[in-house]
Amino acid sequence: MEILLQLLISGISLGMIYAVIAFGYQLTFATSGTLNFGQGEALMLGALVGLSLVSNIHGGPYLNYWLMIPLVLVFGALQGVVVEWIGVRPSIKTKSEFGWIMSTIALAIIFRNLAENIWGKDDLTFPSPVSAAPFQVFGANVLLMQVLVVVGAIAMMLAVELFNRKSIYGKAVVATSNDPAAAGLMGINTGMVITFSYALSSATAAFAGVLVAPLTLTGATMGTSLGLKAFAVAIIGGLTSGMGAVVGGLILGVCETLTGFYISTGYKEVPGLVLLLLVLAVKPAGLFGKAAIKKV
Amino acid sequence: MTRKQWGLGIASIAALALFPVAVGGNPYYIHLAETILIYAILLFGLDIVVGYTGEVSLGHAGLFGIGSYTAGIFFFKLGVPYVLVIVAASVGVTALFGAILALPALRVTGPYLAMVTLAFGTIIQILINEMTFLTEGPLGIKVPKPSLLGYKLNELEYFYFVAALMLLALVTVNRILRSHLGRAFQALRDSPVACDCMGVSVYRYKVYAFVISAAMAGLAGSLYTYSEEYISPNTYNFELTILFLLAVIMGGRKTRSGPLLGALIVVTLPSLLSDISLFRGIATAAAVLGVILAAVLLLKRQKTWREVIVPVTSVVGMAVFSYYLENIVDWRLTIFGFMTLFVVYYLQDGIIGYLRGAADRLWPHRATAKVAEGADADGSRAWAPPAKAALTSGNLLEASNILMQFGGLKALNAVDLYVAKGAIHGLIGPNGSGKSTMMNVLTGIYRPTDGKVVFNGNSIVGKTPSEIALAGIARTFQNVQLFGEMTATENVLVGLHHTFHSNLFDILFNTRRYREEEKAAHQRAAGILQFVGLADMANEEARNLPYGKQRLLEIGRALGLDPSLLLLDEPAAGLTAPDIKELIQIIRKIRDHGITLILIEHHMDVVMTISDFVTVLDFGQKIAEEKPSLVQSDPKVIEAYLGSSMADPAHDAADPAPA
Repeated sequence: MEILLQLLISGISLGMIYAVIAFGYQLTFATSGTLNFGQGEALMLGALVGLSLVSNIHGGPYLNYWLMIPLVLVFGALQGVVVEWIGVRPSIKTKSEFGWIMSTIALAIIFRNLAENIWGKDDLTFPSPVSAAPFQVFGANVLLMQVLVVVGAIAMMLAVELFNRKSIYGKAVVATSNDPAAAGLMGINTGMVITFSYALSSATAAFAGVLVAPLTLTGATMGTSLGLKAFAVAIIGGLTSGMGAVVGGLILGVCETLTGFYISTGYKEVPGLVLLLLVLAVKPAGLFGKAAIKKV
Repeated sequence: MTRKQWGLGIASIAALALFPVAVGGNPYYIHLAETILIYAILLFGLDIVVGYTGEVSLGHAGLFGIGSYTAGIFFFKLGVPYVLVIVAASVGVTALFGAILALPALRVTGPYLAMVTLAFGTIIQILINEMTFLTEGPLGIKVPKPSLLGYKLNELEYFYFVAALMLLALVTVNRILRSHLGRAFQALRDSPVACDCMGVSVYRYKVYAFVISAAMAGLAGSLYTYSEEYISPNTYNFELTILFLLAVIMGGRKTRSGPLLGALIVVTLPSLLSDISLFRGIATAAAVLGVILAAVLLLKRQKTWREVIVPVTSVVGMAVFSYYLENIVDWRLTIFGFMTLFVVYYLQDGIIGYLRGAADRLWPHRATAKVAEGADADGSRAWAPPAKAALTSGNLLEASNILMQFGGLKALNAVDLYVAKGAIHGLIGPNGSGKSTMMNVLTGIYRPTDGKVVFNGNSIVGKTPSEIALAGIARTFQNVQLFGEMTATENVLVGLHHTFHSNLFDILFNTRRYREEEKAAHQRAAGILQFVGLADMANEEARNLPYGKQRLLEIGRALGLDPSLLLLDEPAAGLTAPDIKELIQIIRKIRDHGITLILIEHHMDVVMTISDFVTVLDFGQKIAEEKPSLVQSDPKVIEAYLGSSMADPAHDAADPAPA
């Protein structure tokens, strides 16, 4: 029983990370109908930049964990702007789906290779900002960092939601996602809104990176599978539903830790991907998504 | 085959045969060439998915791995000694996996499909790693060169074996793509909706394309196993998938030469890149070339500073970067990434496509030299539909009590539409009154929220658009939905897809049945084109036709289906007055051939002159259904178009569309 509870807790904290990344996919999909295939790399870069700031690998430490977070958010936003500018904007102009898929993949490869050359190919350890000693909840060992991940992920998603609902800039984002052409005619700079959504999306991913890094190993390849599984989460929950991202994330996170423990750690990536194929076969719009009506 | 093709074929066979002699039997170069041929086989298949159906597959490294491991397992675990059996098994097993992936995955398209195939590729790599009882896991499997009919092949003989299979794959893919299957693949990329409405199920043909592509990957995979003599899971990673895609788009999609060239580039690239001085030379040359090209374009004022600044900075940056680097191997992926970006933005048609375009510009007559075949001057072979049972009276189509609801909006509310056999039935109404929605309900694109649609005595509610099309309802589209990259003839041939009963076997072996069907279809297509007045534009790509001709071509394509009911959605929109006259004649002739028509149109003179009955819709409701002359004086109709007497008549007349 304790073991199951413990697995559930690590599943939930992992799931919330997936949810935040999936949330990032939704942000750009809403405004422009495009996705950043390098979302995982945005996370990885965030984590590694954060690591350089708080540890001694590049002559640091320069800052403590908490002060580093705002800087990483800014870095993530800039990285998102670069992706949008090079990878997405030209393809939106030519309405080429193939274009943005291939170019965001190409950028992802470049970022990963860049990271390998700067931070090396080996995984690094990210110092935990809080006590690494576990405490007991109903007999299960819980790390404070796991709690922090859940709280941080929820806080980030709430902040973005609040921004979208309450501020005038957020209204521009929502308007653009509903009808880009009409929003443009109403004087909204839709190009700007799309760039902004990429900045926001990569910033969320970078934040997820520094949240998850103390719990796992940090390295150039950490993002790829996280990004892929978060996409599975976005599909399972539905690309249009924030709630879907959270529920999908929790389902996948828990499934994965259970598989890892009861079957084999080698197979722990499999259930998410199989779940992805199943959801597509049964309900392509996702558990919480609405099926779009195709207009002819 | 033309003489040119024969020549090309013989030249390439000779080149393949002589290559080992030319390199003096150097095993390194022979192995390199072998790898290029193996990649080319896979790329022919990948091009079917990427180039023809227009989908992105990131799962082909996984499929390649399945092919390789099937061969490895058959040899190593099951002890099957026959190379041909093993190769066939690899093709079969991989095609099966392709089908397992395609059946759920192809319900979605675009980015979804890309991610799903990526997930598939990842699963395969994990499974190869973990299922050690079959695959030996990370240790890998050793497989020696095979024996063919009891004779053990050496390095050189195996090269010839691969070359022969590559040629076989080339011919196979060529035949498939030239056939009605290939036309279906191409059509579904250009306009999925129109493709479904021509009776060619988009989903089904995408699955076919994917499975054929997987089979090719399986063939390539098994050959790769024997070529390398050792396989391990790490080969079949994400990087390899990207390399495949880069090769297809860089070489040039929708060609056979493109994949060959692409394979050559991606196979030789790593060895080129391992030599830093060579790379510096190439990068410098590219930078000089880029700067000169940009300068010329700027001087000729063909491009602005803003357009050239990005490419110029990147090539110059690359050159500077190459001198700063000490170890190029670590930056290999970055270079691949930049190459992909470059190809996606500046070389969309690939190298072969670019060269072809350049050749067409240099020798313009090259493109137009082909003349229409099959059409004749006196019109004796012009289209006539196959004889059908004599017309009987009664209704061909009975749609009753149709309700179509989008959220809270009732786009159609309790609408009845009865269409008599042999009639021209006009469907009019102000913009937004539900006419096109009605079309979409009748052709199965929308499933009505409530109501019955009976066509020819059978209910068609809930049937797919392609089933309805095959049952005999053809349509055109308000916003023209032609297959843009296909010629006028090919567009009509897609409409004639239902006349083909040949299977894959017939296509591959070019049987008599297939040849006869193809010939008959071409003749009918020529007849139809002549009927709609497009005989002299038969070989023009649809996207290059003038707008009015595109509308006529849509009608022609719909006639290919041999419909009993033809739905025309604003056929006269955007047509000039002479074009409209021609259109009216064509519509009358179609009716005289015994085809019933439903006509949506805003040109009242057209509707009123040729319709037998007219139904008027307003705000999703039927407000009148009478003979044209009576409709024109119906007060409700006048009110719908011009507003009631209380409203400001000048304003409403100018803008009949309710907001």
